[in-house]
Amino acid sequence: MDTVKSVAAEQGLSRSRASKRSPIWPKRDIFWERLILSLTVLSAALIILIFVFILQEAWPVIRANGLSLVTTTGFDKQVYNAYYAPANAPVWNFGLLSLIAGTAATTCGALLVAVPAGVGTAIIISEIARGSLKRFLLSIIRLLAAIPSVIYGLVGLMVVVPFIRDNLLTVDIQIKYLQYFQLSGNSMLAGILVLSFMILPIITALSADAIRAVPLEYREASLALGVSKWRTITRVVVPAAKSGILAGTVLGTGRAIGEAIALSMVCGGNAVLPSLTHGFVFFLTPVLPLASAIVNKSEAISVPSIEAALFACGVVLLIMSSFLSVATKAVESAVRRRQGLD
Amino acid sequence: MIRKKYLGDSLQQILAWLAVAVTVTVCCGIIGFLFVRGYKEVSLDFITNDTLPASGMAPGILSPLIGTFLVTLLGISIALPWALAVAIFLSEYAGRNRAAYYFRVAIDVLAGVPTIVIAIFGLAMFSRPSFGFMSSMVQGVEGVHKAFGRSFLVCGVGMAIMILPFVIKTCEEAIKAVPSAYREASLALGATKWHTTARVVLLSARKGIATSVILGMGRIIGDTAIVWLLLGGSMKMTGRQPWWQIGNWLNTLKNTGATLTTYIYFNSPAGEGNKAGLAFGASLVLIAVILLLNAVVDVISAQNTSIKE
Repeated sequence: MDTVKSVAAEQGLSRSRASKRSPIWPKRDIFWERLILSLTVLSAALIILIFVFILQEAWPVIRANGLSLVTTTGFDKQVYNAYYAPANAPVWNFGLLSLIAGTAATTCGALLVAVPAGVGTAIIISEIARGSLKRFLLSIIRLLAAIPSVIYGLVGLMVVVPFIRDNLLTVDIQIKYLQYFQLSGNSMLAGILVLSFMILPIITALSADAIRAVPLEYREASLALGVSKWRTITRVVVPAAKSGILAGTVLGTGRAIGEAIALSMVCGGNAVLPSLTHGFVFFLTPVLPLASAIVNKSEAISVPSIEAALFACGVVLLIMSSFLSVATKAVESAVRRRQGLD
Repeated sequence: MIRKKYLGDSLQQILAWLAVAVTVTVCCGIIGFLFVRGYKEVSLDFITNDTLPASGMAPGILSPLIGTFLVTLLGISIALPWALAVAIFLSEYAGRNRAAYYFRVAIDVLAGVPTIVIAIFGLAMFSRPSFGFMSSMVQGVEGVHKAFGRSFLVCGVGMAIMILPFVIKTCEEAIKAVPSAYREASLALGATKWHTTARVVLLSARKGIATSVILGMGRIIGDTAIVWLLLGGSMKMTGRQPWWQIGNWLNTLKNTGATLTTYIYFNSPAGEGNKAGLAFGASLVLIAVILLLNAVVDVISAQNTSIKE
């Protein structure tokens, strides 16, 4: 609260200074200035409000399960049990581990595809392409960024999923894994592919900006030492732009973690814990990331225990995304300090 | 030896160009695929017919289109004044102290919150009985005293929260890009600081603010998660019928409906409707709307020299 006061105090200071300059300080101005201050405080308080509300709704499930909420699996079965439990004896047992694993697997997979591809595209756009090719590529990136997630989901469902079903799945594999889960093409791999192209434009745009911001002298110095153009780019320009590339990656990660609709369309919707011991089938496992779980099970949200479980998914997502934002801020200020800007 | 040394370099170059080629192919592929599968659906009837029309008429997307328009209008008209106030405070009044730093961190964290979390937050908040005036009260269930929590109004507020950090950031940049000579000239003429900000700075930043608004609108139009949870999955206006009569407008806003994105989701094989053709048609319309908005941004920023992308 004293942070608010200190701003108000500073404002008061500037006001008294200004009122010395001009004898008339209309009351209207003070009203507007207080209004914008309170709206600023409100928008900063919004994040706290979101935390409080969602924690409050999720609290019954968190209290009932404790730490086992994030260490046990079997979400589908638990939702089923909770849905058919009698109203006077609700079921509060939930475990989100397979959902967290789903989020982690799809996000990491998408980053593995999108970061190299995005940085490569950014290099071409900002260092090599010129004229109309550059303009064309920039508008392609903007278009990719503007396509809504539901359309990515639709195209993924109509193109990527059938492709996986027809080319990577055989009846033998399906029978072999039927005891664990049903393989239908809706899989982690489809999710990873769809997600990569959703976060690619973010990573490309921020990397391209960072690469463009590297001073010309760096390139000139390197070229003057006889280094080839490509080596200059990979050894001098890209390392100098790495904080911007990192920022793009973090933003992309945030988007990948929070993506709900597209993934719920292509990922399969079964909360299976993917296992590396399955070899290649690991990628064909149907998964259910946290955000998609909220969309997928939202029809059952009228049951109080399921509602609380979905809010618990929200709590985990909120913690992940806040951690990412704060970490970015910390990295940013560390970089600035090292560069002597602060 | 030298050749071997450069082999890696050319490989890297080839890979980079390959990434570009894949990106371009995927982008054009998505658009082309939507066009090939959807162009047959799109016609004047498709846009002007209701989703569940009287028998003998083809189903259309009129109410989702109106729904998208309503949600966008509500969201932006809540978010813009709010975001402008915050942007003015942060850029003109706050300075560089600790309080301003914490405000910025809070808004940055808000920017990173997934839309689905904002959606369930809206559900938790607007299901409270005290917010019943924004949707409707749940009736007919024994012992339940809470609001329905799903309506156009609620969805508009959710959208406003989602785009707020983005609009704040872009408006702040637009305000910061106004040369300080403008402010000095106004202050030297005896205008107060607020007068200067409201009449000179904001007016000079108007193109940047317009760009920010349109980009924010694009985000609202493309969002599905918030609509799915805060507007529900019904495919028609559920307020008093007929919904287009002025007397029923408020009632329509307090009830549920559809937007283009939920229409696509509903009609995709993942949804209950499962009429992929309609989903492709609606996708084409959605893409067209977004491209139109992007074109408007291009026109604005082509006239504007102070805002660079």
